[in-house]
Amino acid sequence: MATRNRTPVYRKYRDALKTVRAPSSSSAGSRSSAGSPVIEMVGSSILKQSRSYAPLRTDDPAYSSGKGAPTAGLPPGWVDFSEEIAANVQRAWAKMVELSKARAKALMPSFADGKEDQLLIETLTQEITDLIRRSEKNLKRLSSPGPAEDSNLRKNVQRSLATDLQGLSVELRKKQSAYLKRLKQLKEGQDGIDFEMNLNGSRSTMDDDDLDDMGFSEHQMAKVKKSEAITVEREREIQQVVKSVNELAEIMKDLSFLVIDQGTIIDRIDYNIQNVASTVEKGLKQLQKAERSQRQGGMVTCVTVLVIMCFVMLILLILKEIFL
Amino acid sequence: MSHLKAIYFLRPTSENIQHLRRQLASPRFGEYHLFFSNILKDTQIHILADSDEHEVVQQVQEFYADFVAVDPYHFTLNIPSNHMYMLPAVVDPPRLQQFCDRVVDGISALFLALKRRPVIRYQRTSDAAKRIAHEVSKLMYQQESGLFDFRRTEVSPLLLIVDRRDDPVTPLLNQWTYQAMVHELIGIQDNKVDLQSFGKIPKDQQEVVLSAEQDAFFKANMYENFGDIGINIKSMVDEFQQLAKSNQNIQTIEDMAKFVDNYPEYRKMHGNVSKHVTLVTEMSKIVEERKLMLVSETEQELACNGGQVAAFEAVTNLLNNENVSDIDRLRLVMLYALRYEKESPVQLMQLFNKLASRSPKYKPGLVQFLLKQAGVDKRTGDLFGNRDLLNIARNMARGLKGVENVYTQHQPLLFQTMESIIKGRLRDVDYPFVGNHFQQGRPQEVIIFVVGGTTYEESRSVALQNATNSGIRFILGGSVLLNSRRFIKDLEEAQRIARSSSSVI
Repeated sequence: MATRNRTPVYRKYRDALKTVRAPSSSSAGSRSSAGSPVIEMVGSSILKQSRSYAPLRTDDPAYSSGKGAPTAGLPPGWVDFSEEIAANVQRAWAKMVELSKARAKALMPSFADGKEDQLLIETLTQEITDLIRRSEKNLKRLSSPGPAEDSNLRKNVQRSLATDLQGLSVELRKKQSAYLKRLKQLKEGQDGIDFEMNLNGSRSTMDDDDLDDMGFSEHQMAKVKKSEAITVEREREIQQVVKSVNELAEIMKDLSFLVIDQGTIIDRIDYNIQNVASTVEKGLKQLQKAERSQRQGGMVTCVTVLVIMCFVMLILLILKEIFL
Repeated sequence: MSHLKAIYFLRPTSENIQHLRRQLASPRFGEYHLFFSNILKDTQIHILADSDEHEVVQQVQEFYADFVAVDPYHFTLNIPSNHMYMLPAVVDPPRLQQFCDRVVDGISALFLALKRRPVIRYQRTSDAAKRIAHEVSKLMYQQESGLFDFRRTEVSPLLLIVDRRDDPVTPLLNQWTYQAMVHELIGIQDNKVDLQSFGKIPKDQQEVVLSAEQDAFFKANMYENFGDIGINIKSMVDEFQQLAKSNQNIQTIEDMAKFVDNYPEYRKMHGNVSKHVTLVTEMSKIVEERKLMLVSETEQELACNGGQVAAFEAVTNLLNNENVSDIDRLRLVMLYALRYEKESPVQLMQLFNKLASRSPKYKPGLVQFLLKQAGVDKRTGDLFGNRDLLNIARNMARGLKGVENVYTQHQPLLFQTMESIIKGRLRDVDYPFVGNHFQQGRPQEVIIFVVGGTTYEESRSVALQNATNSGIRFILGGSVLLNSRRFIKDLEEAQRIARSSSSVI
C-alpha cells in the first residue's frame, strides 16, 4: 500500500516549537509544583486507587515534560494471564515441530528397537497437552472476576486466544490421527512381528512360559500366543488413542463455545469500532456525571473545612501562648 | 491507561485535527501513532506539533485509503450531501465546495494508492464534473506534483469524470441480479445488510455480511439473475442437508473424531446457508407484495424498446392498479417521462395528474424537476439508442432477435462508454481533456468516476467487462452507492433546496 512518512517533518516542527515554549514552561512548572503535591496527596487518599488506572495527574506539565514521556501506569491484572497463555501457545507450537520430527523418525523403518523414540513422542505429546490444559484454565480465569468496564475488551482478548488454542489443538489432533493411520498401515504390512508400539514385549514372553504345559501341539500354541500378543498390543494402542482423542475432544468442546463463527458480523473490525464509538460516548457521559458528583461531594468540603479549622486552632493556640 | 499504545486512523479534516489537539494536550495513552488517510497539509502538522507538549506522538504517517472499496473494481465515497451536484453553484457555494473537495480528496487518495497520475477527461455538459476535473488536475499536476510524480508508464491511465444525470435510467430500474437486487430491495451499506426491520428473523441473522472476499457462494453468484440464484441455493441446501445427515449417524470413534474435526466447517456452512436462504426469502416476499414482476417488465420495456402508445397504455394500467406501491408508480412515470419527453406532451400531463392524485405523499413537480436536470437536452450520451442511426439499427436487430431474459435486458450507458473507450472512439467534443492533456493510443487502465453515485448494475457491467480480458482494466467509482430510493431522495432534497433558494432570491 502507498504510504508516506511524515514523522521527520513532524519532529522538526515539534523540536522547533519546544525551544520556543521552553522558557515559559519552567516558570509555570515552579508555580504549580508547590501546589501539586498537596493536591496529589489529598487526591490519593480519597480516590480508591484501582489498579487499572494510572494515578490522576490533572495538570502538571513539569511532571512529565522533564522526563520526556509520562510514567506508564500498571496494566490490569488479567493481562498477565493473557500474556502467559500467548507464551504457552508459542511454546506448544515449537514442541509440535519437534514432535513431528520425532514421529517422522519413528515411522522410518529401522532395525533398532524404537523405544526411545516412542518415549520421546509420548513425553512431547503429554507436554503439549499439558500446556493446552493450563492455557485453558488460564482462559477460564480471564472471564471470571473483575470490574465490568473492560469486560468487552477481556471478552475479545479471550476470544482471540481461544481461536489460537483451538487451532493448536486441531493441528495436534490432525497430526496425531495421520501418524496413527500410518502406523496402522505399517502394522498391517508387517503382521505378527514385534515392532514399535510394543512397550511390554517382556510380558508376552512370560506368557509363553506359562502356557507350556497345556495340551495343544507346539505349532498351534505358537500361533495362539502370537495372535494373543498382537491383539493385546492392538488393544493397548487403541486405548491410548481413545484416551488422547477424548482428552482433546473435551478441550475442543470447551473452546468452541468461546470461538466466534466465521464471517459473521461480530468478527469484523469496523463493527467493533462502531460499537466502541457508541460505548465510548456513553462512558464519557458517565465519567462527566461522576466528576460532577465527586466535586460536589461532601467529602472534599468536609476535609477543607477541617484543615482550615486546624489552622485556625493552631493560630489561636499560638496567640494564647503569646498572651498568657 | 498509559500502558496502552494508541493507533489512530483518521481523515485529515479540520474537526479531526481539533479533536486530536485536545487529546494530545492531555494524553490518555502512553504512545500515539497517527495514520492519516490522505495528504496532510503543513499547517495541520504544525498544529499537531504545537499541541504535543508531552511528546507522546511516536509517528505520523499518511496511508492513502480515503475511499471505501466495495468490490475489486468498485469504490465509493459515501458522501451524505450527495444531492449538491444537481444544483448550480450560486445556490449554496460553501456546501458545493465541500462536496467537490471531498470528491477531489477521494480521487487523489485513489491515485496515490494506485501510484499513478492520470490523464483527465470530463463530461462537457456537466458543471460539477468540469469543476472536479480541473481541481483534480490542479492538485496532481501543480500543487502536489512532487508527490504524484510516479514512474511514468508508456500510456498514462485515464480518469473519466461523468455525471449521473447523463444516465438517470439505471438507478431507477428494478434489479434482478443478486447483489444489485439486495441493494435495491433491502439495502447494502458497506457490504453489510441490516435485516432488523423485517420481522421474525433469528437473532444471529439480523445483520449479515455480504462480501465477495469472504463468501465463496456469494462471489460465484453475485451477478447471476434471480432464477439462477434460486437453483444454486437449492443445490447448496441439498449439499448441506447431506452433510448434516452424515453427521448424525456416528457409530465408531473414528466417526466421532471426523465429526469433531469437521465441526467448524460445518458451522460456517450452516451460517452461510441460512444467511442466503433468509435473504432470498425476504426478497421473494417483497417481490410478491409489490408485484415487481409486472412492474419491472414495463420498466424494462420503457428503458429498452420503443412503442410510445403501448408504453402509455401499460403505464396507465399500472398506475390504476391498486397493488402497485407509490414509489413504483413514481418510477414508472419518471421512466416514461425520460423516454417520451417530447413525443406526446398531453399524455405526459395526464400521467402527471394521475400520479399526483393517486400518491398522496408525492411531492409535486418532482418528475418535472428530473426532466429539467436530466432531460433529453441535458444528456450527452445516447441513452435510449435513438439518436445515432447505427444505434437504431442495432436496437431493431436486437428486437428481432429477442432477448433471453426480459428482466435483465437493460445495459447501462456505462457499457457503451466503456466500449467506445476500448475502440478508442470516445468523442473529444463530448468528453474533452483537461487543459493540455493528451493521450496517444489507448489507455490500459481507466478509472470512471460518476459524480452523483454509481449503481450495482454498473459495477456488474464493469466486472463482466474486466473478465473478458480486453487488455483494458476498468475501475468504477462514485460519490455514493445508489438505489432507486436514494436517487429519488437526492432529487427531492435538491428540489427542496432549489425551491427555497429561488423563493429567497
